[in-house]
Amino acid sequence: MESTLVKLTVQGVMPDAIPNSESQVVILQDESKTNTLPIWVGVAEGTAIRLALEGVVPPRPLSHDLIRNLTEQLGLKISKVVVTDVKNNTYYASIYLRSKESDTQSELTVDARPSDAIALALRTSSPIYVTQEVLDRLAPENVDPWLKMLGSKEFGGTV
Amino acid sequence: MLTQMHIRGLMFDPYTNAYIVILRDESNTEMLPIWVGKPEASAISFAMEGITTPRPMTHDLMKVILDTAEAKVISVVVTDLKDNTYYAKIHLSYEDSEYSIDARPSDAIALAMRSKAPVFVNDNVIRKNSSEDMDRWLENLKPEDFGKYDA
Repeated sequence: MESTLVKLTVQGVMPDAIPNSESQVVILQDESKTNTLPIWVGVAEGTAIRLALEGVVPPRPLSHDLIRNLTEQLGLKISKVVVTDVKNNTYYASIYLRSKESDTQSELTVDARPSDAIALALRTSSPIYVTQEVLDRLAPENVDPWLKMLGSKEFGGTV
Repeated sequence: MLTQMHIRGLMFDPYTNAYIVILRDESNTEMLPIWVGKPEASAISFAMEGITTPRPMTHDLMKVILDTAEAKVISVVVTDLKDNTYYAKIHLSYEDSEYSIDARPSDAIALAMRSKAPVFVNDNVIRKNSSEDMDRWLENLKPEDFGKYDA
């Protein structure tokens, strides 16, 4: 059965609540702001996402800029990225690619970490989705402490 | 003229807080150090040591996208050195056409290692490097640094 997809937008990248953590947290929300999906990512990927949010164009292409350039030059279009699953606190994503001529029937799907998928989606203006199942399985105890931290000061401060 | 290079090692440069990828030619007569960032250094070191991660890292994703699209990395070439910045090109074949894509050498090398593609350096870069970059490096070296990396 085809699962329902919920469109998300990246609200920002924040430092992890745990001191000296090697992780950062990407905050995604749906249009109505009723669902918040925090995804823990590495510092390099967090930086890649933040640069795209801020519209920074680095003098030399960074890794995700290179992936965008590779796909663009080959005429492959990223149609969407989807956060598809969460298992043992690890999120899974898929990147959907389409070659110029082909129709949706021949869409290619590539397995990716959500961090890479999001960094790429932001660079290609591709929509980001999450399956309703993943949202349903979000344990409130994981999200609530984060929502508390999302005071007006935190929010936007690091975006 | 292009010279084929092999990735011989990865070192940490305490002066620039960066990592250095050491490329050498077959006969070990030419050496090219390239400064790279930490994430790219770890991408190269994983490939050197044959480490596979449970989830695809950024350069693994790069390779999987190309594999899925049936595009092939033919070679990567370090083409130029300007103001201490190295430039590289990734040569690809896809649907009977060839493509050259501008990249940082770190990304190009990390991809080449995963695709088993050869790495070449423009001879011009090796010559420039021996003056421009080695001077910079040697200036920073102190007597006590000699021998530091001998293992």
